Amino acid sequence: MTVRFHRPMILACAIALSGYPACAEQIEAWRVFVADHSEPVVRAFDLREGKEVDRFALAGAARLHRSQSGRVVYAVQRDANRVQMIGTGIALGDHGDHGDITIEAPALLDAILAGRKPVHLVERDGTVAAFFDDEGIARLVSEHAALEGTEEPRDIASSAPHHGVAIPFGVHLLVTRPHPSDPGALPVGLDLFGPDGAPTGDHAPCPDLHGEAQSGNLVAVACATGLLVVAPGPERPDIRHLPYATGLPEGKTTKLVGGKGLRYFLGNFAARTLVLIDPTQAEESFRPVELPTRVVDFATHPAKPRFALAFTEDGYLHRIDVIAGQIDRSVRLTAPYSMDGHWSDPRPRIAVAGPLIVVSDPLAGHLHVVDTETFEPTGAIAVEGEPFSLVAVGGAGETH
Amino acid sequence: MRPLTQAALAGLAFAVLAPTAQAGAEPLEVVASFSIIGDFAGAVGGDRIRLTTLVGPNGDAHVYEPRPADAAATARARVVLVNGLRFEGFLDRLIEASGTTATVVEVSKGAHILPANGKADDHHADEDKAEEHHHDGSGDDDGHAHAGHDHGAYDPHAWQSVDNAERYIRNIAEAFCLTDRDGCAAYQENAAAYIEQLEELDAEIKSAIAGLAKDRRTIITSHDAFGYFEHEYGLHFLAPKGLSTEADASAADIAALIRQVREERAAAIFVENITNPRLVEQISAETGLKPGGALYSDALSDQDGPAATYLDMMRHNLTTITSAIAGS
Repeated sequence: MTVRFHRPMILACAIALSGYPACAEQIEAWRVFVADHSEPVVRAFDLREGKEVDRFALAGAARLHRSQSGRVVYAVQRDANRVQMIGTGIALGDHGDHGDITIEAPALLDAILAGRKPVHLVERDGTVAAFFDDEGIARLVSEHAALEGTEEPRDIASSAPHHGVAIPFGVHLLVTRPHPSDPGALPVGLDLFGPDGAPTGDHAPCPDLHGEAQSGNLVAVACATGLLVVAPGPERPDIRHLPYATGLPEGKTTKLVGGKGLRYFLGNFAARTLVLIDPTQAEESFRPVELPTRVVDFATHPAKPRFALAFTEDGYLHRIDVIAGQIDRSVRLTAPYSMDGHWSDPRPRIAVAGPLIVVSDPLAGHLHVVDTETFEPTGAIAVEGEPFSLVAVGGAGETH
Repeated sequence: MRPLTQAALAGLAFAVLAPTAQAGAEPLEVVASFSIIGDFAGAVGGDRIRLTTLVGPNGDAHVYEPRPADAAATARARVVLVNGLRFEGFLDRLIEASGTTATVVEVSKGAHILPANGKADDHHADEDKAEEHHHDGSGDDDGHAHAGHDHGAYDPHAWQSVDNAERYIRNIAEAFCLTDRDGCAAYQENAAAYIEQLEELDAEIKSAIAGLAKDRRTIITSHDAFGYFEHEYGLHFLAPKGLSTEADASAADIAALIRQVREERAAAIFVENITNPRLVEQISAETGLKPGGALYSDALSDQDGPAATYLDMMRHNLTTITSAIAGS
């Protein structure tokens, strides 16, 4: 089916005065990449047409991440012991007074990060770091090298296998420190590694570390006691601990997402409570947002910074006004999805494609598409299998 | 989103139609984009305004990411004061996110504006009003290729000329008068008093620079923030970084600068309060120029620092520069 965009996909044929072609076509294009929950396949959809444009067979079921540039999708296959990469085929170029877009076919790249049990993957400033839990090793590669297939990954080893994460931060790398006596427990803090790949000796305690996100030039990592907030420093990253506010209900954050356009973080906290976090505020740095039922997934809105999104187990998508700190719109999209059961059962996930929000509905085999402003469904795309993890890439620009 | 400059006509219409009386005794809610404009706003508005400054002391507006609290303050504001000239790369998204109905005023409008290549240009000089507009809420979506934080055709650091600072003050007073007619006499009075101080400052700077030897007037800073000071007062500034602090200088840029420092017999080198000093320290080590202290370019110091106000900032920079050259 065709999804309704409020803005035409081909916006204009602009006439430039100098230095550019006389007629540069303005094009907006969005692709959604969807991993199946039970099959080792990723499907790519053209969002405007609502049609599958390609599909990629993987080694195992995947969770998807997109690079900041949108040129690469990373498919993390925990049980197949690898991270595969898909070139999205869409590239945006910033030329100051205008932007270019090039659109090609998506393609599975040759680059693979292989190792035992990859789970967490973080991409920052063009470098991706996948952490392999059963090895305790982070493998890093640049997005450019992944696209070109020109570089072997660089390994950075923590002290032992554990459920960890590695976060590129300029020339430094932040790597989790495993629990000293219980390999199955969550990490106990962050260690800083220098440009030479060796530990600097800097350590920031963070009990039960799980969940990381970036917003602006900040990185936040969730702990049982609060957040570690990492900011650029004159010589090395500046890491400080932000304790949870005293007025919050019982809980802790284990998943974080970061705002774009506005610098804030959104985290889970209790089953029906999210927290909006402004780490630079002296007061009200944590603002709880109550949800009607338990949260299934949540996301920030990269195109409309005022809004964040949450999907709850009653089948509703909610729009959160991050300035007011409350839900301002809700829409029913799916049948209920209970949070009881296995953590990895197929449940809806959220992606944002410019003005449109896309929600996977694994049990119905659909992608629901919602307009951000009206917050009404604009269509649904039928998908084979159980559409689960998804990311959107694209944008607008001139073609020459 | 339309760039601010494109929304100007709509804004002028709003400025005429906007309510002109301040409701009750409530102060006029004003947002200033960064500390120097905040200082100007405080000097003109006095206790009739409630001021929120987004990028505070020692903050770098080039790379600032606004917070939800900034959007909330902007939503409450009736006047938003910005430098314009694409200095505040964060502004369009903040305005859109806030949904504000405030009048957004580019206080550099009508100032003597230099193009990015440093040659004098009277692009704005024929306009005698601050550019104002009422934001329409339309905007770019993520994924669109943005203009980023480049400064386009003009050098935005216009406040580094005291003559331009006078224009800023006049624009601010005019904007306050349009929104709060009852307070207009007070705003005009405050502005006039401040302009007198600016004129004294301008004379001080000219006198001090005149006392420097003509062949000892080349100095080094971190980024190209002092083009207006150079144009107005006759010093020559070199910098490894361009008009924005966002992009790193390349090795080739630094090597070329070091050659230029030697060729032009630069007299002194300075760090800036908003930039990492390492680059300047590296150039210092390569050239043998001893760092002459910290200059305040795009932000004031905190209250305990030497540049807590615009007047203090300009005097501090003048003293720091002339002392370093005298000792070189």
